[in-house]
Amino acid sequence: MKKQSVVKKFLYSQKVAPYVFVMPFILTFAIFFAYSIVSMILMSFQKVAGANTTFIGLENYKILTNAVFLKSLKNSVFYTIVTCIMMIPIPMILAAMLNSKHMRAKGTFRSILFIPALTSVVVAGVVFRLMFGELEGSFMNQVMNLFGVEPIIWLRKPVTVWITLFFLCLWRWTGVNMMYYLSGLQQIPADLYESASIDGATGMQQLRYITIPLLKPTTIYVLTISIFGGMAMFSESYMLFNGNKSPNNVATTLVGMLYRMGFEQNQLGIASAIGVIFLLIVLAVNMIQLRINGTIGSKKGE
Amino acid sequence: MSMTKKSRIFTICLFIFFILIAAITLLPLALLAVSSLRPGSDLMRYGLNFSIDWANANLNEYKMLFSGQNAYFTWYKNSLIITVVQVGLALFLSACVGYGFAMYDFKGKNILFLCVLLVMMVPTEVILLPLYRLIVKMKLINNMWGIILPYLVVPMLVFFFRQYLSGIPKDFLDAARVDGCTEYGIFFKIMIPLMKPSFAAMGIYQGMQSWNNFLWPMVVTNSIDKITLPVGLQSLLSPYGNNYDILIAGSCFAIIPILILFICFQRYFIEGMTAGGVKG
Amino acid sequence: MKKKLLAGALATAMALGMSFGVGATDDGSTQGTNTFVDGGTELSFWTFQELHVGFWTSMADVWNEQNPDRPINLTVTTGESHSTHSKLLIACQSGEGAPDMADIEIGYYGSFLKDGYLLPINDAVEPYKDDVVMSRVSMYGDNEGNYYGVDFHLGATVAYYNMDIMNEAGVDPADIVTWDDYVEAGKTVLEKTGKPMCAVETSDLFFPQCMMLEKNAQYVDDEGNPNLVTEEHAEVIDYIREMINLGVCEIAPGGGFHTEEWYGHLNDGGVASVIMPLWYMGRFTDYCADLNGKMAIYPIPVWNEGDVREVLQGGTGTSVIKGTENEQLAKDFLAFAKLSKEGCTYEWNELGFDPIRTELWDDPEITDNKDNKFLAYFTTNPFDVLKANGTDITAPNISGAYSATYSTLVSTTYSNAFEISVDQDAMELLQGEQDSIIY
Repeated sequence: MKKQSVVKKFLYSQKVAPYVFVMPFILTFAIFFAYSIVSMILMSFQKVAGANTTFIGLENYKILTNAVFLKSLKNSVFYTIVTCIMMIPIPMILAAMLNSKHMRAKGTFRSILFIPALTSVVVAGVVFRLMFGELEGSFMNQVMNLFGVEPIIWLRKPVTVWITLFFLCLWRWTGVNMMYYLSGLQQIPADLYESASIDGATGMQQLRYITIPLLKPTTIYVLTISIFGGMAMFSESYMLFNGNKSPNNVATTLVGMLYRMGFEQNQLGIASAIGVIFLLIVLAVNMIQLRINGTIGSKKGE
Repeated sequence: MSMTKKSRIFTICLFIFFILIAAITLLPLALLAVSSLRPGSDLMRYGLNFSIDWANANLNEYKMLFSGQNAYFTWYKNSLIITVVQVGLALFLSACVGYGFAMYDFKGKNILFLCVLLVMMVPTEVILLPLYRLIVKMKLINNMWGIILPYLVVPMLVFFFRQYLSGIPKDFLDAARVDGCTEYGIFFKIMIPLMKPSFAAMGIYQGMQSWNNFLWPMVVTNSIDKITLPVGLQSLLSPYGNNYDILIAGSCFAIIPILILFICFQRYFIEGMTAGGVKG
Repeated sequence: MKKKLLAGALATAMALGMSFGVGATDDGSTQGTNTFVDGGTELSFWTFQELHVGFWTSMADVWNEQNPDRPINLTVTTGESHSTHSKLLIACQSGEGAPDMADIEIGYYGSFLKDGYLLPINDAVEPYKDDVVMSRVSMYGDNEGNYYGVDFHLGATVAYYNMDIMNEAGVDPADIVTWDDYVEAGKTVLEKTGKPMCAVETSDLFFPQCMMLEKNAQYVDDEGNPNLVTEEHAEVIDYIREMINLGVCEIAPGGGFHTEEWYGHLNDGGVASVIMPLWYMGRFTDYCADLNGKMAIYPIPVWNEGDVREVLQGGTGTSVIKGTENEQLAKDFLAFAKLSKEGCTYEWNELGFDPIRTELWDDPEITDNKDNKFLAYFTTNPFDVLKANGTDITAPNISGAYSATYSTLVSTTYSNAFEISVDQDAMELLQGEQDSIIY
């Protein structure tokens, strides 16, 4: 302790220690994130062909008028909105039911519902692709057959493609969101419910006046991850159609478009422009979120 | 009397409802498991369903999987190594960073934390292309470290650990300092043991992410002996004929490690979730 | 305690994986090399198809035997098929990490050609020029007469008929000459057997492209710009739409001729014929065991009697990537592997690829080989079709914006034309499609 070198003393000082602790983040942030964002913004103003790059101004942003790009944007937004609408109430209600004192074997059901989240999107995609296959014997067509419906070509018609994608999302993420709600529910003091039932509040009223309002922070969190998850959707579509090629771009998303331009067609400039547009959308959604709900960072103070 | 009867009926209804939900949840995996007992060519002809001829059901698919005639277990090994290394490093480094944010006041802290939030908000898919080009320049393509390095510090984990640790009073640190602990000593000797439950929770979270990650490993790896399990399974669906024999049995087998992890630690998972970042 | 458990569980799982994994890493199917020789020049090679590995490593061994002064140590890396091209493209673009040579599928080839990532191989091909079908080589080229790649096969398109169905309907495929004959025959087949004559893909382009090429029409113009809005293209679309309306043509189950739904349908005798290139034979032998001995190969129908009855479709061009340190050696090896008698023989025997080298079409050891699984499977001899059609064959133009155009065609155009917007005027539809191409 007495003969510490200057360097060691410096590193061990209370002033420097926090920087040592956060250094891994600073490094990865600077090297991977900041660098990537900056180079993406630069590239979005360039034409990159072979070894040559030329500055072409806003030329790449002409993609904004392209019909396929607009469709992919629309698809991403549509998917995000519908998944948000589905993925908040359903898990919330399931969690409330599971948390009810009348419920038995809570732990088992909680685990079972969480299992789909453990499967890779690849496995999930393969199963759903086959379940929703167009053969007469595919599982979903067998189910439809019970209702007297002719075999359906699920994965080539817009409406059924979306149904499949939403089922896939519901299947994989209900358990996860339910988990978040369960942990939120456990922080609601039980005496609140007790006093409410003494006052004669029905289960429905309790749900409406106690559970839902007190779960707001959890809802905000779930909403946030659902929005970003929805906007970033790509792998599900990639697996369902065995490549980045949904029929007539029914399920081509923003990321799919970015992947197509950047990786499949070597249009690095255009891909970067899509990335920048994507970034702007994400930031804008964030701003709106912050305005409405307050920062996630300050959540602990709530 | 009628109250208990009513509540008993309610309990039974609830129970039946959840049995139903659980059945629907497990159905796709059950289909997968059943199908793994029939030849892959059946799937092509008859589709994925439960109508299986039990007399002819067999484990041939699994035999094929274990025969060593394919790269399945190379992928398995790659995925396991990457998952273990990534979970270990990400937990440790993110805990460091989270601790730094939770326990110290320092210049630039707010800006830096804003950066953490920013990275958390921007889906990695956005920077897929520039990040890939960077990895190419660093000559880490087709290399395990190319998959791991960009995700060494996971913002979600940093955020979580910060929340978790912010419940610990700072006087606690001062007391330790008075006892002669160094700044790092406090972290290693006092904090890490305190954080164990959160390590379990985040271990599952990160384990799931790493084991199942698809897009980034697909982009970074080239050769069939370097790809991870999800990428490998996907590659079996090629335009030159889908290898359903291995795909189905392999998909079943792929769930196992992460399932074991989950079953062992799920208790801590929900506890950790409750104590950590997603609380209100 | 918990950490120990975690470590224990993972270690067990890992040990499990490792112990099973041992056999897999050494079997050589994932990454292939030839028999290395001392002082051999190291060449790296990327492919997306495992079957090609054996071809390349065997050819490297043959090369080393014949050229002891210029030996090669070849390492072939197989990638995952969807993304190998993307990665190769970016490796070329960034100038880092590209191999010396690579297999590039036809749909992607244009991207590499357009930005000049490939080396011309004219001088290496020169010695073989008179022995091979040159339109197959020059299609992987540019307007200045340079060529950059050679395919594995000729890719001649033929008609595969299910003779069970044809006999039941009482139609002899040999009598079918024009598309109108084909449609008439199709009506009879439909009436007698209730089965469609043929199928069209919505996620690929083989059938319409074949009809287009017969009209000498291309998807890109001479400058390489997308050129979808042509009279010929509209005629082809309307013709196929009419066939669909008549019930003679169906949308392929699964949307393409490489999907599991389609293979099942085909194998079950759900369709009377398929128009596909000869390399599709391998799909029959692999996936349609029930059709063994029932399929016959005939020339494709034409628009007018007397037209050239052959077009080339599909394929994979192997090229030398710019920036390699062994330009000449790589080029010479490439030409040798793909165009020599040894190479073409291997391709036919092992892979079922129709030889690009014409002398093999008359070689009885090849054409009458009773042990060949492809010849044994089909009731007619594919070489008869090749010989009848000669070497004046129309190849697709894959230059310029072809890759981008191809991507639009297979993702939206044909899906729109045949399944979604079936009532929209063909010209109007094509205009919309062309406008959406980004190049």
